[in-house]
Amino acid sequence: MSYAPRQIGAANTFDYKVYIEKNGQPVSPFHDIPLYANEEKTILNMIVEVPRWTNAKLEISKEQKLNPIIQDTKKGKLRFVRNCFPHHGYIHNYGAFPQTWEDPNVTHPETKAKGDNDPLDVCEIGEAVATVGEVKQVKVLGVMALLDEGETDWKIIVIDVNDPLASKLNDIEDVETHLPGLLRATNEWFRIYKIPDGKPENQFAFSGECKNKKYAEEIISECAEAWDKLIKGEAADSKGISLENTTILNSASYSPAVASEIPAASPLPPAPIDKSIDKWFFIAGAH
Amino acid sequence: MSGNSRLQLLHQHLSIKPHRCVATDSRASQFGEPTIVSVDVGSKYSATYRKYAADDTGKILSYFHDVPLGFDASKKTANMVVEVPRWSNAKFEISTELDGNPIVQDVKNNVVRFVRNLFPYHGYIHNYGAFPQTWEDNTTKHKDTGLYGDNDPLDVCEIGSNVLEIGTVKRVKILGCLALIDDGELDWKVIVIDVEDELAPQLNSIEDVESVCPGLLEGTRQWFRDYKLADKKPHNKFAFNGRYLLAEEALEVVGECHSAWEKLIGGEVKSKGDEISLRNTTQKETPEYAPEFSQEELISPAMPDTAIPPEISKSHFFPRS
Repeated sequence: MSYAPRQIGAANTFDYKVYIEKNGQPVSPFHDIPLYANEEKTILNMIVEVPRWTNAKLEISKEQKLNPIIQDTKKGKLRFVRNCFPHHGYIHNYGAFPQTWEDPNVTHPETKAKGDNDPLDVCEIGEAVATVGEVKQVKVLGVMALLDEGETDWKIIVIDVNDPLASKLNDIEDVETHLPGLLRATNEWFRIYKIPDGKPENQFAFSGECKNKKYAEEIISECAEAWDKLIKGEAADSKGISLENTTILNSASYSPAVASEIPAASPLPPAPIDKSIDKWFFIAGAH
Repeated sequence: MSGNSRLQLLHQHLSIKPHRCVATDSRASQFGEPTIVSVDVGSKYSATYRKYAADDTGKILSYFHDVPLGFDASKKTANMVVEVPRWSNAKFEISTELDGNPIVQDVKNNVVRFVRNLFPYHGYIHNYGAFPQTWEDNTTKHKDTGLYGDNDPLDVCEIGSNVLEIGTVKRVKILGCLALIDDGELDWKVIVIDVEDELAPQLNSIEDVESVCPGLLEGTRQWFRDYKLADKKPHNKFAFNGRYLLAEEALEVVGECHSAWEKLIGGEVKSKGDEISLRNTTQKETPEYAPEFSQEELISPAMPDTAIPPEISKSHFFPRS
């Protein structure tokens, strides 16, 4: 597999798009990249959206053809996550699993909340800072159930299989042994990260406990099944998601020709980020 | 050297930062810090890198001896030289040994030094730097701690909202200080805020820092205690049981270190051990004064940055004690 990013425009602008290419041809990171990277299903592909220690809220576009990574906007402005002391930007390499969907039509029996209509979110905890549009091979360690404004928003905890620590991390309890404090910080980060924007603290299901690898694998299977229904047109409501793809032959939205509509690479150096994004917010009682 | 050829040299090397236009006094902003530009030599993140201070005519200045402290105890303000921007790892510091006292990256065993990321922190957690024209005297025991100083300019942690640039000079308000003991030497960390920062009006004391920036003081203490663990060194210790001294006490420390520097530059006291370059262009009554540095001697071309080794982005984890 040789995936590579195809960048259009400058980071930190409305024009910025990162498509994913396979062998030079644009593919959809939502629909075309296989979830599992080996037959045993022990290694998964992860699409990196946000490198650790950065603030721009980049995500796979659900609306645009072949689902490039773009910066989220709100009220006509580019979105950046705020720095909540002691954290700087995102504290993981953050991204998504391809060919997964948190179905907003279905209420999860344990969290009692509906899916958030996005691909499944992934936090990669390895030592290297990743790059936007990188496709990593990762192993699954556990999952946290964030309830973000009332929707279930699972955060799967993974590590790059090529990380020096990967062979030592096989389930969630290994994370606390080798990276003490990381899960607690992850919990804190997701609880407070929207407080600087005037929103309430987020809640976690399961009292904030991180569920183990087996539980995480079940969630991933459920979200893979939900995506399978979505791409076959069997979801109760596909919520306007662009389903064009270049590999799912039995889907109505299979359209290999769409790749030729994707613009050629035209990368530009990153635009400066407004200084206000450097501010550190101090949240009383957060720790 | 003529002003003209000096300016020509500068055109090749100067990185002039945007500065406010000041109508009345071309040498100082409305907040009182001098207009200091900087001149880069060599390649950043390598041992060849030097960043010299210069005035607005391009004349090279010593960051240690020529950039004025501008200490105003009644307003609790002074000038700070920024050495390390927040969230970065390269250990830049004013060289006490080189003529012109440029900012260089610290070198150990022939390798440039980076601080490790101590989870959950990323690099330095403040804009870190030093007060010019101050010296932690390594020849005299400090009156309260009984410790000798570390032979460096006084260290400063700026806690404002902005990430500040290396080599810039900022007018700051002094809020308190922490007495770190580093390898048995006294190494004060003075807590300050940029007077132009949006939080500055609310911050006048160490208590204000705790109420406006909850968690920062505890995080700062933990960071300085633990930041060398990843280099397999022990915890650092603190004098005063790790208590933050108040703004008034910190002002005293700044005053003492400024007096110590006056004795040093005047030739009354000589540093023990490492040779300090006392050459300067502004302290006329001192032994090492000369009107200017030889630019030909100090200045060579700036080179592209050296890549930061990828292992510097690793976070290091230690159980909380």
